Amino acid sequence: MADRPRIEHTLFLLAVGILAWIIPGGGHFLIRERRRAIIIFVTITLTFAVGLYVGSIAVVNSVDAKPWFFAQICASPVVGFIDNISRSGYTDTTGQHVKYTAFGRPGDVGQIYTSIAGLLNLLSILSAVYMAYTGRGEMIGTEEETHA
Amino acid sequence: MPELFALLASFTRPIEIGTTPTSILWMFPLLASISIVYKATKMRVLFWDRFLREVVVLLLTVSLFMIITAVALNIIVWWFT
Repeated sequence: MADRPRIEHTLFLLAVGILAWIIPGGGHFLIRERRRAIIIFVTITLTFAVGLYVGSIAVVNSVDAKPWFFAQICASPVVGFIDNISRSGYTDTTGQHVKYTAFGRPGDVGQIYTSIAGLLNLLSILSAVYMAYTGRGEMIGTEEETHA
Repeated sequence: MPELFALLASFTRPIEIGTTPTSILWMFPLLASISIVYKATKMRVLFWDRFLREVVVLLLTVSLFMIITAVALNIIVWWFT
């Protein structure tokens, strides 16, 4: 990694950061930390999905719950797409336009789960970029277990 | 296909969780997630057995701290009311 030209190294770090944001664990996958990548992907995706299931997609709302949204969007850009669906609402059988709503304890739990999932992904983005910066994968080789 | 739509539709309505003391139990899966991701980013080399051990230790430590905090806050509230 140290032999790489500076620009190439910077672009690589940027790619790691962006991939880690787009797909949780993607940054670690790119730097060949595959085991870490799988753990991070499964855990963050599951946490976010549980949050959405408990509180419904209404817990993602960039207008009515802006501070929470800042944490949620760290999970993936897909959250922006969910926000769009959540804010646009739906038309019911009587032809009336209805907004998705989340309130009470399920709303709280859903909001906390999805936001924590976002913040955990922020942690893994920073971890992936730092590992790429220090050349972790190349320094200590692969993660295959060699000890008993 | 109907199964897929039913699955997607389940994400459009919140599930039922009462405002009861048992709803606090929802924090434990979240603590597990935090422990797993934290240890996955923190450990220098990831060996499954050591990873699982450290996750369990962290989960128990954080859970214990949360329980102690909850008990302490309850005592404070009970004391002043």
